[in-house]
Amino acid sequence: MIVTALQWSTFAVCTLVALARIPSARRGENRPVFYVLVLLMAAILLSIEEPYDAIDGFLGGVNVANVVLRFVGFAAVFFLGLQIAKGFSAEDARRFLTGPVGIGMGVLSSAVVIVLFLMMDTAGSSAGLVEVAAKSGRNRVLVEYYGAAGRLYPAFVLLALLPAMIRTAGSRLPLIIRGSAVSLAVGSVAMALTLGFPLIPPGLGCWRFVINYTGILFLVLGLVLIWVGRMAAKRRPRSQPAGTSE
Amino acid sequence: MSTADICRISGLKRTTLAQQLVRGKVAETTVVSISRALGLNPAESLANFSTFADLTRLAQPPTPAELVSQVATMDLLQAVITRSAADPKDGSGTLRALSPAPHATSVRNWVDAIDDGELRHRVSAATGVAPQNYSAQLTANRLSPELAVATSRAGGVGLTGGLVATGLITEAEAGWPVDARQSALDALSDGELVALAGERLQALGKTLRRQEQEQAQTEKIWENLG
Repeated sequence: MIVTALQWSTFAVCTLVALARIPSARRGENRPVFYVLVLLMAAILLSIEEPYDAIDGFLGGVNVANVVLRFVGFAAVFFLGLQIAKGFSAEDARRFLTGPVGIGMGVLSSAVVIVLFLMMDTAGSSAGLVEVAAKSGRNRVLVEYYGAAGRLYPAFVLLALLPAMIRTAGSRLPLIIRGSAVSLAVGSVAMALTLGFPLIPPGLGCWRFVINYTGILFLVLGLVLIWVGRMAAKRRPRSQPAGTSE
Repeated sequence: MSTADICRISGLKRTTLAQQLVRGKVAETTVVSISRALGLNPAESLANFSTFADLTRLAQPPTPAELVSQVATMDLLQAVITRSAADPKDGSGTLRALSPAPHATSVRNWVDAIDDGELRHRVSAATGVAPQNYSAQLTANRLSPELAVATSRAGGVGLTGGLVATGLITEAEAGWPVDARQSALDALSDGELVALAGERLQALGKTLRRQEQEQAQTEKIWENLG
């Protein structure tokens, strides 16, 4: 129950934010962030049972939708990472993510996701591959690794940006920017924690969802804060810097 | 006199004063506002509290360096220009009135004026306030009254200087003669004046550059993530 509510509210937040940004996206302001939000929307939609079943049914009912979900997630986090790196002046992180190591990590994660998917018996649409995992012991192990591979790249990108976020949070920039950096950092840490999911005892499975969606919510909140800050800054003209008003 | 009367004449918010009284911790600014409203000297009123007990008893006049530190940077530059333009025989030339203390960097300038190099360590040791927190206050052109007095003590100067530099009390309330700052400024040699103005300009330039940098960073974030 809590899990479903968390999923739908995360989706609602993402959708609202994306809708609210349509006017500025049409003006050509910061389209990448708009695309990231649309990708996130798609990813969340694909992780909720009802829409997943509908879409996967359309794609043949062999859970290809789950692979699509992984790649949508990769794309969203890649573009979000680039924007964060550019915005927070993290030239080193940007070069790292677009360099051999960063791209290699993306390719490796993608390859592992595809190979593991092909090794599974994936017939029968099931959000989160729950029923696929229940089919056999072999499938359960494969699904576990498949999920881990799908979380690896996002965690990798966000961890690479964590230093820049912490640096911005501790800077003397406007409070709303620092708040947003804190929110992005919390979201990133949550996404990194998802790598530890295999260590969570089966009985506490709902924690997986809580950590996962808290992560996404904090990332989106971080973006919203920056957006709000920008609008507020545009509305009121900049005050004169101290020291020149004498 | 009731607290309501006090609030009315001093312009304090009733809720603010009530809260401070309940907590048993009345802010220094409150004491100053009420003293002014009652026609009392704020420094003397503050001296009724143990932290500031020797505020008036040990009153000693401010040093010339302290006085000059309370001259605004633009006034210093004005003095440089006036002196260079004035007829050498005419003396100081015509000066416009100095803007009243405190100015935009008065707290840091005051601390620098009484700092022998070890002052910050002594203040930190005496009050337990970490040096970086102390520096942060100076950068923000702030200093809590208690720290201001502790700084005066550690610097071996009159105890009211810091309260003037932070704007808690006026020069007159601290007992500084009306033209004390102007006299101290006039007493500087041309070399001293120009060197001091140069230091201030350099510091101002650094602050402005930092602000511009932060502004540029902020723009970049709005641009890419906003």
